Amino acid sequence: MMLGPFLFGAPLALIGLIALPVIWYILRATPPAPKEADLPSLRLLDDYTAQEEEPARTPWWILLLRLVAAAAAIIGLSQPVYAPGASPASESSGPVLVVLDNGWTSAARWSEMRTVAASALDGEARNTPAHLLLTAPRTLNVDPAERLSKTELPQRVNSLDPVSWDVDRANALERLDASGLQPGRIFWITDGLTPDTAIPFARDLAARAPLSIYAAPPRGPVAITGLSSDAEGASVELTRAALASDATYFVSALTLDGAAIGTAQAAFTEGNATALAGFDIPAAALARVARFQITGADGAGAVWLWDSSARSRRVGLVSGDATAQPLLSDMHYVRKALEPFASITEGDIVDLIAANPDAIIMTDIGRLSPDVEADVAAWVEKGGALIRFAGPRMAAQSDSLVPTPLRRSSRAIGGALTWEEPQSIGSFPDGSPFAGLSAPEDLKIRQQVLARPDPELANRTWARLTDGSPLVTAAPRGQGMLVLFHVTAGPDWSDVSYSGLFVEMLRRAIAAGRGEAVADAEGTYSPDIVLNGYGRLVSPDSSATPVAAADFADITPSEANPPGLYRGPAGTRAINAGDGATIRLMTDWPASARLLGDAEARSLRLGGPLLGLAGLLLAIDLIVALAIAGRLPLPGRASQAVIGVLALASLGVIAAPSADAQQPYRPSPYGYGISPGYGADINVKGEIDKATEAALDMRLAYIPTGDASVDRATLAGLRGLSLMLYRRTSVEPAEPHEVNPETDALDVYPVIFIGLSDAAAPLSADAVRRLNDYLRNGGALFIDTRRGGDAASTNNFADLERVLSGLDTPPLEPVPTDHVLTRSFYLLDGFPGRYENRRLWIESSGIGEKTERRGDGVSRLIIGDADYLAAWAVDERGRPIYSVDGGDEQREMARRFGINLIMYVLTGNYKEDQVHIPALLERLGQGDEGEDDFNIDDIPRIQDGGPQ
Amino acid sequence: MMDLAALRAEAELLARSLPGLNLKARAADAAHLGAAGRKRAGTGEQFWQYRHYADEDAAQRVDWRKSARGDELFVRETELETARTVLFWCDQSGSFNWTGQASRITKADAARIAMLAAGLLLSKAGERIGVLGSGRPASFGRAAGERLAEDLKQSSSANFPAPPRSQAIFVIASDFYDPIESWRDRLANLAARSKEGILIAVSDPLEEDFPWRGRTRFSRPGAQLFRIFGRAETVRDEYLTRFDQHFAALEQLAASFGWQLVRHSTGNHLLKLGADLKAALETFGARL
Repeated sequence: MMLGPFLFGAPLALIGLIALPVIWYILRATPPAPKEADLPSLRLLDDYTAQEEEPARTPWWILLLRLVAAAAAIIGLSQPVYAPGASPASESSGPVLVVLDNGWTSAARWSEMRTVAASALDGEARNTPAHLLLTAPRTLNVDPAERLSKTELPQRVNSLDPVSWDVDRANALERLDASGLQPGRIFWITDGLTPDTAIPFARDLAARAPLSIYAAPPRGPVAITGLSSDAEGASVELTRAALASDATYFVSALTLDGAAIGTAQAAFTEGNATALAGFDIPAAALARVARFQITGADGAGAVWLWDSSARSRRVGLVSGDATAQPLLSDMHYVRKALEPFASITEGDIVDLIAANPDAIIMTDIGRLSPDVEADVAAWVEKGGALIRFAGPRMAAQSDSLVPTPLRRSSRAIGGALTWEEPQSIGSFPDGSPFAGLSAPEDLKIRQQVLARPDPELANRTWARLTDGSPLVTAAPRGQGMLVLFHVTAGPDWSDVSYSGLFVEMLRRAIAAGRGEAVADAEGTYSPDIVLNGYGRLVSPDSSATPVAAADFADITPSEANPPGLYRGPAGTRAINAGDGATIRLMTDWPASARLLGDAEARSLRLGGPLLGLAGLLLAIDLIVALAIAGRLPLPGRASQAVIGVLALASLGVIAAPSADAQQPYRPSPYGYGISPGYGADINVKGEIDKATEAALDMRLAYIPTGDASVDRATLAGLRGLSLMLYRRTSVEPAEPHEVNPETDALDVYPVIFIGLSDAAAPLSADAVRRLNDYLRNGGALFIDTRRGGDAASTNNFADLERVLSGLDTPPLEPVPTDHVLTRSFYLLDGFPGRYENRRLWIESSGIGEKTERRGDGVSRLIIGDADYLAAWAVDERGRPIYSVDGGDEQREMARRFGINLIMYVLTGNYKEDQVHIPALLERLGQGDEGEDDFNIDDIPRIQDGGPQ
Repeated sequence: MMDLAALRAEAELLARSLPGLNLKARAADAAHLGAAGRKRAGTGEQFWQYRHYADEDAAQRVDWRKSARGDELFVRETELETARTVLFWCDQSGSFNWTGQASRITKADAARIAMLAAGLLLSKAGERIGVLGSGRPASFGRAAGERLAEDLKQSSSANFPAPPRSQAIFVIASDFYDPIESWRDRLANLAARSKEGILIAVSDPLEEDFPWRGRTRFSRPGAQLFRIFGRAETVRDEYLTRFDQHFAALEQLAASFGWQLVRHSTGNHLLKLGADLKAALETFGARL
């Protein structure tokens, strides 16, 4: 039924409107709900009949509210449609074919297009069927021959979503032909773009049947169609369809997890189809950008995925020196400088070349072996950048892979034997990639390798010192580049590695290679995450197929290859919907087609909103009724207080961290104020790993042997020792740790104990190597073989060789009687454990040069067999567990030894200085009774009037 | 409802702020002999004083052992020891355990506190206290106060208890909203037993003011009944008239027994109820 511009799907429901006056009368007569009250003295009114029981009137506005709700419900049930363009006269003679463009360009206006498509049959005869043809191809297309009734069509259309690839109209025509459908009328809802396919398509359709076209209004889509990035940032190119007006869009750079790193503005001026959004993002942050997105725009084209190939360069590092102290190595500086900008691989040079990185950095490698040199040379000629740092080895000899011939020595500038001052960096020649960088004056170069004078030298120089001698030289070799820094990568020869300049120089140097990297034609990339038609990231469905690396260049998005990120051997690569797309509006429609304007085709289904309104009004009515009855909990004083407390608490939560942050650093009275972290309270929250735990608190550690009872005794012994230390000394160790020498960080423990069992399994070579490193870098190892024996028997360390084979054991000797171990805390005569009169072995101090002795002559290896750990062992209530030869007295002595041992480990030879105390005291005049020459009476007295 | 400890604490606070309660012993001569000395000569077991023989004394009263030591005759007097029994009863119905406003104490609690305070004072003065219908005999001393507190909370007599066999002073607390006739029936037995009694009528300010307006559904706590008044304000005058008439009738009832009526509104301070109750208790001696 038609009523003005309104169509009614179920006009009979309107009869219900007659009921409105009845509803009005009933509502008027019903009193509002009474208030509730308790009254014990109601008894007094038992026999009283109230004079006036007439109910109070329902307020007129509640009446109105309810009537409107009822009317809205009744009208909503009659399914009205607002369709100003529909005219019942133009009924068609056959089925209606609805053609719908559902490519990614439709996403911006999809709801409009869907509404139009759903109302395509409005105004047609009741049994006119509809057929649906979607122009974006899929493997399982909607068959145009399928009949859809007047009620099925909106349901079907409303379940459709746009796809993330483009339409293929020629393919759609083929499908239409294949279905053999003869439509009586064709209704094409199009995005109005890509005229080169749209014009022939429209002509073809118009030839088949009368054609109506609904082109979505020219609020065209906007898409990201290109991206260019350099070291300083990225710029994103936006393209739009509607040229008529100025428009401003915002583009966000998002990380993988959706956090926005930056936002840039792209302003279209009138008549321009493209605009640029420039991101000024530091390179380190740029590396985290995973995609760009136009804020507020829907569709796959509004998202630009950024793959890893476009972002970071791959750099290989080869180090000349293998040091046990990684923080002091040259490579550390290079790695720290490059980490934010490049993906770093370390390893053997042969492996690195096989991986084909953009650049290889070598520190202080003098001469490569000839076959490796040939490999490297071949790699450089293919476009790699070889960046080398000088050093003592390169000064001694160099190979051919340097940009300029070098002298056979290094020059030390400044120092005790030279007249010159250390030099600072002078200039960057104009042709150099470093041009434009500014070098701080206070960067000094103290030593460098010198280039032999050469006519090409000036051209090959990228950086000079103030006296003109080259600091960085570079020469092209094939397509690649050789770069040489004439100083070390570490701070040994210069201060450069301390400065930000170093980072900039390295970044520009690694870009000197072939630049654009991955040219791998091998391997396939499988879809990792794809875009749907609305531009959301979803996991790929089964129809998305892997892509061969070689095919990436000329791929067009389709159902098999939807836009998204593809993961392969060389990182990820992206297919973007808007990549290189041209978005043009179609203007040349066929003359025979009937064009539906914006207003004409729009019809609005009012049923749902009206029913919703009715529901809303009823809900309001319910709340009002409750409020009148007094049952609505109004914000009383209690709840206000609760709200206030909550607000205060949340304020407090917000304020608390800032209060913490503002707390000034106060050095602890025990700290030496060396570094700001020293002595400050360490505030660790949540789970912390073992190494952090050990680094936060001093604690003892032991290596388990695999024998449960021995390990238990060892742990109990360390607990007992920790307890004694805690009680008697200022050493307050935390709970002992069990460490695995193969995996755990050892250098956070001052001393590691090993209680050997008889059947101890040998430690692996890796573990022994790490133990050696630990000892070399200042750790201490206490080994207890637990064998015991009487005073006559000698120590038997056969097991030691078996279990710890390969341990870097220095010559050992029994502890001398005047050794510092006998007086580092208590004065001791012997070192009893569970057994008495056993000898304790330490590193022999008399052997070797003083300089070769580790740790100031403090023994880092202490070996005994008196089962010390058992003597120290206590249970959880602090009672000794094991018996001891000499009873409590010997146990006490064993504990004293334990305390001395820890003191020795922690303080080293500090107490040894105490041997000089007698001499010092004598010199201060306190030791008169000694027979040395100094006598206080020899000091000439000054006549000061004092007592004679 | 308050718990026992809170009740006790409130009662002791109230008792401390009231001066000591001493029933005039003359009034109680005929009652039990008890342990509490009256600090004067009278019937009892403890020695009080010797005094000179007077002419009106019977010859048997001469204490010959004392008199034999000298020339004068002495009479041995003992200390007067009396105690009275005061029995309390508190309405346990739901409508009495009710307050019109959450911050006010319930009517029953007000009554209990006042009664317990009076009980504590009485037991300190040597009177015997107990709860009517509790099944435990009246007693005095420290334990009596605790027993009183427990019984005041616990006695859940659906019916009004039967009068005790011995004579006592009754203190009955309720809101007395039941019709006067039914109260007369209940109290008549007690009144026949004792000429001394106190009715404590506690009411809530809401009950006295009847502040409601508009359509209101009234219900009685503890009863399932309710009544709806379309316009509560029209009922108010009638209600207030009936309220006043009811309590006038109640006072008349009390007077007909020779009892006292103490009225209290929980809107007022408890001290007032305590003082009124004390004054009422103290009148008994004077009335004889």
